[in-house]
Amino acid sequence: MARFVLSRAVKAVLTIWIAITATFFLLRLLPGDPTTLMVEGDMTPEMQAALLKTYGLDRPLWEQYVSYLRELTQGNFGISFRQIQPVTDILVERLPWTLLLAGTAFVVTIAVGIPIGVYAAVHRGRWPDKVLQVLGIGGHALFVPSVAMLLLVYLGARLGWFPIGGAIDPDTRGAAAYASLAHHLVLPVLSLVLVQLGPYALTLRTNMIEVLGEDYIRAARARGLATRRRVWKHGLRNAILPALTLMGLQLGTLVGGAVLTETVFAYPGVGRLIFEAVGQRDYPVLQGAFIMLAVTVVIANSLTDLLYAVLNPRIRL
Amino acid sequence: MTTSNNRRPGRWRFAAAIGTAAALVLSGCGLNESDDSSGDKAGGGTVLRIGTTTDVSNFNPLQSLSKTDSWILNAMYPHLLRIDENAKKAPELAKDYSYEDGGKTAVFHLRDDFTWSDGKPVVAEDVKFSAEQIMKYKLGNVAAKLTWVTSVEAPDATTVKFKLSQPYAPFAEGVGFWMSIVPKHVFESAGDLSKFANDADWVGAGPFVLDSATKGQRYVMKRNEKYPLAPGGKAALSQVEYRIYPDVNTMMLALRNGDIDLMGTPVPASAAKTFENDDKIKLQKVGALGFAHLTYNMNNKDLAKQEVRQALSMAVDTKAIIASVLQGDAQQMAGPISPIFADYDNPEVQPYPFDPAGAKAKLSSAGYRDGDGDGLFDNLTLGVACDQSNANLTRVVQLFRESAAKAGIKLENQCVERNTFLSRTKNGEYDIDASQWGVFDNPMDQLRSTYLSSNPGGINYNLLKSPEMDGLINDAAATTDKDAFAEKIKNIDKVVHEQAYLTPLYVENFQFAYNASKFTGFVASPSDLLGMVTAYSLAQVKPAS
Repeated sequence: MARFVLSRAVKAVLTIWIAITATFFLLRLLPGDPTTLMVEGDMTPEMQAALLKTYGLDRPLWEQYVSYLRELTQGNFGISFRQIQPVTDILVERLPWTLLLAGTAFVVTIAVGIPIGVYAAVHRGRWPDKVLQVLGIGGHALFVPSVAMLLLVYLGARLGWFPIGGAIDPDTRGAAAYASLAHHLVLPVLSLVLVQLGPYALTLRTNMIEVLGEDYIRAARARGLATRRRVWKHGLRNAILPALTLMGLQLGTLVGGAVLTETVFAYPGVGRLIFEAVGQRDYPVLQGAFIMLAVTVVIANSLTDLLYAVLNPRIRL
Repeated sequence: MTTSNNRRPGRWRFAAAIGTAAALVLSGCGLNESDDSSGDKAGGGTVLRIGTTTDVSNFNPLQSLSKTDSWILNAMYPHLLRIDENAKKAPELAKDYSYEDGGKTAVFHLRDDFTWSDGKPVVAEDVKFSAEQIMKYKLGNVAAKLTWVTSVEAPDATTVKFKLSQPYAPFAEGVGFWMSIVPKHVFESAGDLSKFANDADWVGAGPFVLDSATKGQRYVMKRNEKYPLAPGGKAALSQVEYRIYPDVNTMMLALRNGDIDLMGTPVPASAAKTFENDDKIKLQKVGALGFAHLTYNMNNKDLAKQEVRQALSMAVDTKAIIASVLQGDAQQMAGPISPIFADYDNPEVQPYPFDPAGAKAKLSSAGYRDGDGDGLFDNLTLGVACDQSNANLTRVVQLFRESAAKAGIKLENQCVERNTFLSRTKNGEYDIDASQWGVFDNPMDQLRSTYLSSNPGGINYNLLKSPEMDGLINDAAATTDKDAFAEKIKNIDKVVHEQAYLTPLYVENFQFAYNASKFTGFVASPSDLLGMVTAYSLAQVKPAS
């Protein structure tokens, strides 16, 4: 197990390094430089040179890269071009919101997806199963911003059940603040869950049908084990493994979806920060945000692998 | 084995609980932060809530270049002059200005009743300090406007003198309008102002001063109890609050729902109709300080010919473009000076008529032939570049292609992603540039930026090197007599039109939406940069009843 964990850790570090390097060079391969967007119109060559020097962009690319890696090892993501503040401070301010949004959507998707998937598998061919299949396939076609805007228009504006944008009513305190937080979270979470839920439950259903046909389940049935125990205890434990991997992979999509969801719902997370930083070509903020998201996804996937290995020892072989 | 099986779901529950708790604790930091920073309530006063699209990227007004930053920072840091609803410069901190030494010294006389929020008066030394720091660290776009300054003097508390290397007629207007004045006694201790974030303990002298900033959520500004340009000596509003909605559709819903009272950003023309049935919401129309245009690259052998440029100008159906793309909400332009600058608009200059047959005849007489009879002139294919994210201009290019084909001119659509577009225009990699100038506050700066060959920082997208134009521009720039100056600008207007260096398309109208059932008194300024959110406008706003 120790060897397995170590190999996973090495792979994770390698993946993160590749993500850091790719982000660094891809941003700089974009046409133009950040000063192009900083001053449109009158900008003398001296002003441009001064800006490039201030941000260290006048140095050779490899020198910028080495210096960036050196700073990263000390936990320093650099200073934002636009906000003149440490990127770490900016990210620390935004990350909790994204974790809360994506984390809640993740938990809700699993919590709702498991019973739906299992129910559909057990009642295969009947109408709940058929509905799930339609929704599952339809889920792939849903586009987060469209779903988000529909929810905002109908549940937010027309019916007035939920707030239009934001993460909390800033004037609330104590318990009311937490209630406001939950209230503001409903629509963004719902838009992410609606997109993720169908495919997730469908995968679980397929796995479950396969598992329920296995010999050991039939043997359990022959032993007179109750349906409930047979399905939920013996069946689900095996059926959930591939679905778990899918969910680990989907976490990346969830975080990516958060960029769009946060923009539509004016949610103050890392996703919206990326949206703003792209428009301003704020390299340090973009690099920091991408690295943080990459680390989150890599860690989540590594944990999924480990969990998989714990649940299914054959993986470690 | 059984024991172990029983334990695992427990572990999952535990992990899920830990995850949720961690997220809540972390977000709790956000809650606590908003608790700390939200400051005092409005105390029963009147709060105006404004929708903005993005966070403040930089609290240092000398360095900030963002439009949305300026909505907050301009309410806090005074300017010498403001722009009124007719695009004319009006007094703000400066009562008036004049030129001495044949135009080589610009003198501003300041009001003596502006006060910083910490009680200190706003004095000439503050203006001198602001200008000198901009020049020293080359801060923001104001640095280019101070190019001619050799020194700044503050002989007394209300007089500032800018010594210039040469006379430049619109110097005072340009600097007066664009330069923020910061408190010397606060900013001088910061050292290098290019690295000064100015993100706490704000001291301002506008009608409102920032009180708290909760990144990603809101910015709360409190009333400055002494602001001489507000009726009664202080603003009627006790507080102004900016809330962030990156998506304009969400912002419109928030206005309709009563979450905000004013949209800082214009309502898209196609969406303005959605407010028609809402009695509470009122739309206010303002003109632009920039305009959409087609500019021709003079390094292209075909476009270097006046006949070709004129033919292209005759092949654009501007009226149809305004009717379909802007749904009629724009004004057609004739010459390169926007009609919003009424004093400089040359009535002799009329737009080239839309006349594909005439354009064809002009090109034929210039020697172009249609050898293969496909209706298009041989060897005359031109690319039209534009910023793909500008939906209006992308459609303009499409319509231009169709109408130009009727005149026998083959155009290729070269609209690309914004950064690529900016990079290409900067490097002259285009034939025809279809774009929209942002904000020009005076015609002289515009002509200097767009046509003067010796202005390396300009936006001379024609890549024009014309001794005649250089002479005309430099001559006008040194003319401080207002009438003579206006005549010279009108003459340049005529020359540019005859030469067809560009085809001006339209001056857009912007529409700003606000809740008229709650607030009144806004004084809108032209352009989407200023719109309804200027210091002067906010100081005039009052509750509706």
